[in-house]
Amino acid sequence: MSEEIKVGDYLIKKDLLYTKTDEWVKVEGNIAIVGITDYAQKKLKYVVGVELPEVGNEVSKEEKVAVLESVKTVADVYVPCSGKIVEVNEELMDHPEYINQDPYGKGWILKIEVKDPNELKDLLKPEEYAEKIKKEEGL
Amino acid sequence: MINLHRALKAGIGEFAGWVTAMDFGDPIKEVLETRNSVTIFDISHMGRIRLKGKDTYRLLDYLIPKDLTKIGPNMMSGPTAFLNENAGFKDDVMLYNLGEDEWFIVCNAVNREKILNWLNNWKVKLGLDVEVIDETFNMALLALQGPKSPEVLEALGGKDAVDLKIMNFVRNVKLLSKEVFLVSRSGWTGEEVRSSGYEIITTPKHAEEIFKKTLELGAKPAGLIARDILRLEMGYVLYGEDISEDINPLEARYWVFSKGKTGYLGYEELRKVMKEGVDKVRVGFRLKKKVRAIPRHGHKVFIEDVEVGYVTSGNFSPTLSRPIAMGYIKSRYALFGLEVEIDIRGKRYKAKVVDFPFIKV
Repeated sequence: MSEEIKVGDYLIKKDLLYTKTDEWVKVEGNIAIVGITDYAQKKLKYVVGVELPEVGNEVSKEEKVAVLESVKTVADVYVPCSGKIVEVNEELMDHPEYINQDPYGKGWILKIEVKDPNELKDLLKPEEYAEKIKKEEGL
Repeated sequence: MINLHRALKAGIGEFAGWVTAMDFGDPIKEVLETRNSVTIFDISHMGRIRLKGKDTYRLLDYLIPKDLTKIGPNMMSGPTAFLNENAGFKDDVMLYNLGEDEWFIVCNAVNREKILNWLNNWKVKLGLDVEVIDETFNMALLALQGPKSPEVLEALGGKDAVDLKIMNFVRNVKLLSKEVFLVSRSGWTGEEVRSSGYEIITTPKHAEEIFKKTLELGAKPAGLIARDILRLEMGYVLYGEDISEDINPLEARYWVFSKGKTGYLGYEELRKVMKEGVDKVRVGFRLKKKVRAIPRHGHKVFIEDVEVGYVTSGNFSPTLSRPIAMGYIKSRYALFGLEVEIDIRGKRYKAKVVDFPFIKV
């Protein structure tokens, strides 16, 4: 179990990096695993559908690559860096609720082969992401 | 997910300026609890207007297309509307006959100011003696909905209201030993149809006590997202999404008027529409079970390359475990059972044109 920060009702994992657009990123070698944060899933509410990109697609940093459809609204998922999509979480097609139930685990969305590690430097550290939420929520 | 935040914040702020519960964690669960058990909604954002004075009936009789002679004291009108001169919807509302030249109106939150002005302007124009009182901030409105709602109402002390007929209300009822303004058998979820939906109008403080007590009695709190899904499953419209000033009751297949009544505002235009027919009609769209994309307001409907209609609202129906939507389709394609395609963000999804309601209650 990694350590966690709690901001209001929202969990932030200390071993992950974050985007300003509420994705989490886990870097393992030259692979970045991407999902949406607990904060994002709680804002989205019940996710009923997920549109995933195709494996093999070349994408650029901050490109919109996946779509989450919830009872409340529809939201885009952006990639944190340029590279090639090497895997997507096909299980979400049948179980979109994983995004709500386990956003940092079973709810992961895609894996990307990082083209330029320098691009990851812009990502927010857990404490910085916590500050962002505090500010947005007035906590 | 920047667009998400925009959408969410707008969604809350935009609701006629009311900060209200959109949900209590899981709107899908709230829908199912309403259908299978009992939930409590705070819908105080809706407008509440009291009319009194000797000409109240005359004013309403002119502005409302429904036959008011059929609505006796302690009865509600059922869904009706204020129409504009072109027979478009000014607002869809519910009227309550309080007796002795006094009527009560519940209108949509977004239209409250507009309707207050509308009533005041017509009152002056027609030279009528009517007092228009905005009670919105003096009273709260709760909806107790679901098959177990009679038990909860009874436990609150509302025995006299439990067996009310649909679209009837009682006053002088005490809940938690305090008198409420009224309790009605109604709702906008479909539950009212099968004698399991009530609405309570009382002071905000009393409403809060009642809300809390219902939770102790086993009701679950539910918010506006759940309410929106529930009404969609029934094929009920939402003003601003499915109807507007530019849509008339025939296009909406929304029977807010009484056959045989004449002379009300919008009547001549509505009559003309009736004789000429309409170019588009409101229908339901039922998507396939596996589909996980939701048709939303503004999405277009096609048959091959021909655009035949558009969606006005849609969501995921937990009762049917599939997306459902409503919208308008050109009259010549308004054939129940017809297969069409809905363009959801550039992708086409098959849907069947269906009638309302989507579900049987």
